[in-house]
Amino acid sequence: MTEHAIWGGNISFGQVAVLVKLHPAIREKRIQFSLLHKRDLVKLKRQMVCSLDGAPVPPEDQARGFELEGGRYILVDPAELEKADPEASRAIEVHEFVPVADIDPVFLERSYFLEPGEGDTSAERREGKSGTVSGSRAGPREGTVPVFRALAAALEEMHLAGICTWTMRKRSYLGALVSAGKSIRLNTLRYASEVLKAEPLASAGEALSTRELAIGSELIDHMTGSFKPEQFENRHQQRLQELIDRKTRGQKVPLTRPRRRAATEPSRLLSVLEASLKKVA
Amino acid sequence: MSPEVWRGTISFSLVAIPVRLVEAISPDRVSFRMLHREDHAPLVSRMLCPDEGKIVPREEIIRGYEFKPGKYIPISAAELETVAPERSRTIEVTAFVSSSEVDTVYFDHQYYMVPMKGGEKPYRLLVEVLRRSAKAGVASLVLAEREFPVIVRSVDGLLAVNTLHYPDDIVTTSSITKTGDNTSAKTGTVPRRVGRSRSEGLSPVFAGAAGMNAEKERMKRVIGKMVAKFDPEKYADQRRERVVALLKKKMKGNSLVQAPEVEEADRKVPADLVAVLEASMRKGKKDE
Repeated sequence: MTEHAIWGGNISFGQVAVLVKLHPAIREKRIQFSLLHKRDLVKLKRQMVCSLDGAPVPPEDQARGFELEGGRYILVDPAELEKADPEASRAIEVHEFVPVADIDPVFLERSYFLEPGEGDTSAERREGKSGTVSGSRAGPREGTVPVFRALAAALEEMHLAGICTWTMRKRSYLGALVSAGKSIRLNTLRYASEVLKAEPLASAGEALSTRELAIGSELIDHMTGSFKPEQFENRHQQRLQELIDRKTRGQKVPLTRPRRRAATEPSRLLSVLEASLKKVA
Repeated sequence: MSPEVWRGTISFSLVAIPVRLVEAISPDRVSFRMLHREDHAPLVSRMLCPDEGKIVPREEIIRGYEFKPGKYIPISAAELETVAPERSRTIEVTAFVSSSEVDTVYFDHQYYMVPMKGGEKPYRLLVEVLRRSAKAGVASLVLAEREFPVIVRSVDGLLAVNTLHYPDDIVTTSSITKTGDNTSAKTGTVPRRVGRSRSEGLSPVFAGAAGMNAEKERMKRVIGKMVAKFDPEKYADQRRERVVALLKKKMKGNSLVQAPEVEEADRKVPADLVAVLEASMRKGKKDE
């Protein structure tokens, strides 16, 4: 089945312009739960209530406030906020190219696959609308495909990512264009201000001996393989489905108490490492 | 301090370290509080039973699964835990890989792992050895009813845990790329491998290898002039800046309201932003 594009834009840098369409790269299939009333198993609905008297407050009586200290708020109208929305645009502006390895995974947020766009990017196509991407409409504009392919190949060979910004659905995004085989992927990146720093959480402590470090390194070397994502199978979801099936058939679920592993004593670290190494070597 | 999301043990071979996971990401959007228009009392989110039209207290709320339209079966947290009794308490590192091997498409969320009492020394060993070898541990993490593949990395003296997507959840490029070649519409390979064994999908007009190469070389020259170091600090959320500017303006205009005092347990005020605004207000007053 061919997937629908969610947005179309124009990648531009230097003299280069490439029309592209975005497809979400991730489709999660997962079992969803609902919140129920214990007594009658009725599905509950979320409701905003007044913290003063606990009474439900309908949407028309709700106001938006930015909280300052001491219970003071700045009231803000939805119309005022709308003015802060970035201007609608089709431009995906590439500012610079950086080594892919420079981008720490903490910044990676969401992935989209790109495909060469068609001549007209003015109409935003949404899911569910008729006229799919692979429909009978005209193919990519002449010239778009080779430029797209050339960009994909160049990124691949240079191990570079194009850092870009664009506006999509009233939000401004930061992203990285990376090669994905013959195609191009667009990763949205988190803003630096959204990433919490590690340093404040780090703590010094007892020093490690050279021997502990050496045995530890050797142990990890012995346990090293190549990254094989195919081995990740979502068996958890299957087992969860089995649990649900058992429950719907009215069968009891025997409760198991999770085992907790005993922590390695700091004084025994070296001997535990040595025993581990013997096991894997 | 970031909120704790999980508490348990990380293990590799015979070594076991008590740890907890905290958030590494904090959405930096300016967040607003919904208020009651009448009295400016903050609103809180509660669960309403539509049948009785009543707010349901927390202890009467349970989780359930809709097995038929409108029919629910309750599932307790203890029952959920039976799905993965060990893994829900232990992140067991089964192998180590080179950090750079993991394609960017797999990354989802990041947490930091912090040692608990008594775990500091083996924790520091893992941090140090992973840092020196530029390796990451491969494991899985169970959070509530979900299980994620994860990698454990050494980042600035801490262990970071990155949840990954399952390869099955990754849409293949072949299912979206219009190639004029119908065989490519099948799914089943992970993106890394896509394209290698398949036809390139170039339309005949552009399939000329020489033309393609020239185009690529031209592209490389343009790109080569724009190479830089990645500096995420350079980029700011435009919308956030505008909302902050709007708030500053409104603050000078003194359009503040006072909420009545209410006791609440879970209140959060973004301290840094408040400081910025308070400072701007003081400045505004001085200017007058």
